[in-house]
Parts: sequence; structure tokens; C-alpha cells
Amino acid sequence: MGKLAGKKLLLLGERDGVPGPAMEACLKDSGAEIIFSATECFV
Amino acid sequence: MSKVGIKGYSYCLNHAPETGSRYGGTPYEAIHSGKEQEYLDSLPKFLQSYEHALHYAPNQTYIGGISYEEFESLKTPWVENLLSDEKAKRYGKFGELMPEDEFLGLISACDEFELVWLEKAFAEGSAKKLAEDPVITEAIVKRVLRPKNMHEISEIETEVKERNGLALYFDGKVIGCIRSGHPTDPCLTAHVLLENLAGKASGVLALLHLLKNTGMNPSDLDFVIECSEEGAGDVGQRAGGNFAKAIAEVAGCINASGCDVRGFCAGPVNAMINAAAQVASGARKNIAVVAGGSIPKLYMNSRDHVKKGLLALEDCVGSFAVLIVPDDGTMPVMRLDVLGKHTVGAGGAPQAVTSALTFEPLQSAGLTFTDVDRYAPELQNHEITEPAGAGNVPLANIKMIAALAVMKKAIEKPAMMQFIKEHGTIGYAHTQGHIPAGVPFIGPACELIKEGKIKRAMIIGKGSLFLARLTNLADGASFLIEAPEPVAETSAVSKEDVKALILEALSEVAGKLA
Repeated sequence: MGKLAGKKLLLLGERDGVPGPAMEACLKDSGAEIIFSATECFV
Repeated sequence: MSKVGIKGYSYCLNHAPETGSRYGGTPYEAIHSGKEQEYLDSLPKFLQSYEHALHYAPNQTYIGGISYEEFESLKTPWVENLLSDEKAKRYGKFGELMPEDEFLGLISACDEFELVWLEKAFAEGSAKKLAEDPVITEAIVKRVLRPKNMHEISEIETEVKERNGLALYFDGKVIGCIRSGHPTDPCLTAHVLLENLAGKASGVLALLHLLKNTGMNPSDLDFVIECSEEGAGDVGQRAGGNFAKAIAEVAGCINASGCDVRGFCAGPVNAMINAAAQVASGARKNIAVVAGGSIPKLYMNSRDHVKKGLLALEDCVGSFAVLIVPDDGTMPVMRLDVLGKHTVGAGGAPQAVTSALTFEPLQSAGLTFTDVDRYAPELQNHEITEPAGAGNVPLANIKMIAALAVMKKAIEKPAMMQFIKEHGTIGYAHTQGHIPAGVPFIGPACELIKEGKIKRAMIIGKGSLFLARLTNLADGASFLIEAPEPVAETSAVSKEDVKALILEALSEVAGKLA
């Protein structure tokens, strides 16, 4: 449990950067609640 | 046969600021939401003129007006360091940058269902200009002038007001319309039909340039694979297709058939693999991989450009075509035994994606990162993407490749920046989705190979599948282009040769028996 424990997270990923599901995987055990996660494409 | 020849390529742009600033996805959404009047009022002040677009280095690089090597050496920002008049020509080695009035005429020529109405004087002017284009056939010019496609401005205005037509503009005036294809079908609205007809027309232009660049008679083309991101269909099958055959028809390729391959921005690389496999197997004699461009992508990031007081550069519908033929040892080749595939199980982490598309195929072929002279992953022009917060996409990708090369011990960490500089590519393509997806570099890579300056390039395309809400996955694919190697001659074996071989074998057997 780190400083994100108990927080609510909005994750905005990018295809050529870090996609949403990858961030979700990293933050799975952080104790935070992921309330929105999406990957966008601007190209 | 695990290689095919790349006989030729074409790259074209269709300047479309007036169409794009009304029907590009972002402006269109803003017009209909009614909430972004400030942006809509400002956008016209930030449009780029056709002359400016001709002088803009990334555009000339795309159409082959300047070489990729020259582009790399140019001073940036390109938007403030325009090319000289001498280099700002309409036609380049690969294709052309067509002005909007001619593009609208070409769209009309591609209409089979009386969906495009152009005002008579405008249509005549457009046809006259199109007739000067070296790849536009007489038949295409005549199609612009079909009476069913030419109407009085009053009829056009009535069609827009009373029957859901979509007005077309040039010089700020209504000069035509796209008619609705059906009273209720959402797949045949005038807006959807504009997108599809523009995709078809830009694909036709690319195919015509490909035929010219390769010296191929249209009737000799065997098959077309189209790989844009548009969906043509009706309410029963909203993306049934087929752009490929429709494009081949207008280009006069009477002996060709075709089909479409889709995969968002990974479509073109998958289409190249598909085409190469069919030619290598002998299923097709030759295949043109073709893609038209996207109206909805025009001015996609223009909110940010306008907000920052920058020129809105996303004003060109892009297109390309590549001709795949059997390898004869004389032209650059595409290898079919070294293909990058982003599997379902690979996951979406950047390292996993990069590994699947670069390290794994290279390793399976006994190659390493430094064996590839140039990587071409997603070639978006960063002067378009950076102000919108989307970063420098090609640079981000080559940095990831370099980092992976360090992890795999192919290079030392201090050599990373040198690797990025020497093996990366600078983006110069419009943000037209599938258009910048690695494929713009097929042409320059083949040119550099023919000049003996490089031996091998990797083309990488990535597709944002998650946008369709079917899966959270992205996709990616890659392939190698290499210098040709002499093809061993396979001479026919004569009866005498067979007799001699049998006699030799028999005498060997007799010798052993003795």
C-alpha cells in the first residue's frame, strides 16, 4: 500500500505511450480504486 | 518463395481545407454541439493555403518532391522554414499534392449513383484543370462532365435544405453538394457518403500514379487490396466494402479484382503481408496495395492548434499505393519469413508491443537490432501532434526500440542516442490514421536501397483497435524490406540431361555390385 491507497483514479492512456490497461496492471495492488480507464489515439 | 519484389510506389495528398474545416471530425462535432463557437470562428484564420502546403517540407517529402535524406537535413520548425519555390512543385517523384477544386471534381468522377452534384461552371473548371494532370485519363475528365453530376446552384441549395444534402464549398461559396443516399439509412447519409467517396477518389489518384510510376498497363493489374479505415455499406452490413474493386474500376484496371483489409492503422502493414503472401504463393500475378485517405481525420487536433495560435496543418487527405510482384532479383524485396506480430497474449505494455514487433521477428531470423538500418514506426509529423499533446510519435517509438536494444544487449546504453539518430526516422505524414503507419517509408526505403545507401528497413504499423469498443487490445505488425539478391536461374532439364543422370547412377550401382 502506497500513497495512492484509498484514492480514486482516472487513467488516460495513449497507444504510442502507455495504454490504459498497462497502467491498470501497474496500479492493481496500489490500494487505489480505478474508476475510469481508457486509451486514446490522437493520430 | 519467401520474398516478393516491390516494383513501385506512389504517395499523394489532396488539399481539402474547406471540406475538412466543415466535415473533419473535430469541426463537425463542434458545429453540431453548438458549444464551441469561439473555436469555429477562429479556425478559418488558421487554415493553410494551397501554396503554403506546397512549400511545407513534410508534404513535399511525402509526395517525393524532396528526398527523405534532404528532409532530414532541413532546418526546423518546417512551418517557419518553408521550401523554395523551385522545390514547392505540385508533382513529386512519388505522386502529387492536388488542389481542392480538382479533388472535388475527382470525387464527382468517382460517383456512380448521382450522389455528387457540382455547379456546372465549377465542374467545367475542375475538369479543365484535371485534364492537365498527367495521370488523369480522358475517361475520368468526361465523368466530371456527366450531365447527371452537374446542376444549377438553386437545385443544389434545395437538395441541401430539403433533402439532407451536404453542401460542398470552394472559395467560401457553395459549389455543389453530396446527396443523401437513402431517406433513413444511417450508413448512407450524405456525410458518410462524402467520407467514402473521398476515400475512393484519393485511392484512385494513388493507383493512377502507381501505374504511371511502374509503367504498368492498367489491364495488367491482377488484384487490388485496399487498406484504409473507411467503412462502405448500408444498414444491413455497415462496412461490407469493397473499396478496392471500386478504385480499380475507375482506374481502368479491367482485369483486376480486389478486396479490403482492415485493422485501423495496422491495416496497411497487414495488407502488405496479405498481398505479399498471395504473390509469393502464385495465387496472384501482382497486387496493388492501395489506401485512400480520411475526411474525418482532417483538423482532428485543430482545437489545440487554434488555441495556441498555430497553423492548422491537418488539411490533406493522404493516399498511397504499392505494387507487389514476384522477386526477380532486381528490385527491393519484402521478406515473408520475418514478420512482426502483436499477439493477443503479448499484452499492451509498450515493452511487450515493441518486442513483438521488432526483437522477436529479428531474433527468429538470426538478426539483431543494429542489422536494421532504418526503423519506420508510425510517421506522424510532430509539428501537428506535439502542440496537441500527443508528443513526437516516431521519436517515442524509436526510443522504445533503442531501450529494448539495450535491454537485449544489442547496444550499450551510452550508444542509445546514436542508435536513435542513425536508425530512426523523422515523421512527415499527415495524421490520417492508417496513412502514417510505417508505409510512407516504403518508397524512401526502396530508393535508399537502390542507391546502395541502406540494406534493410523495418516498416511498423500499429492500430488502435480499442476505438471500435470491441476489445481493449491494440494491434501491430511489421515487415522487413531488403536489398535484392541475385535469383538463381532455374534452367529446364533436358531429356539428354535425365539420360546422363540415369546412366551415371546405374554405372555407380554397377560399380558397387562388381
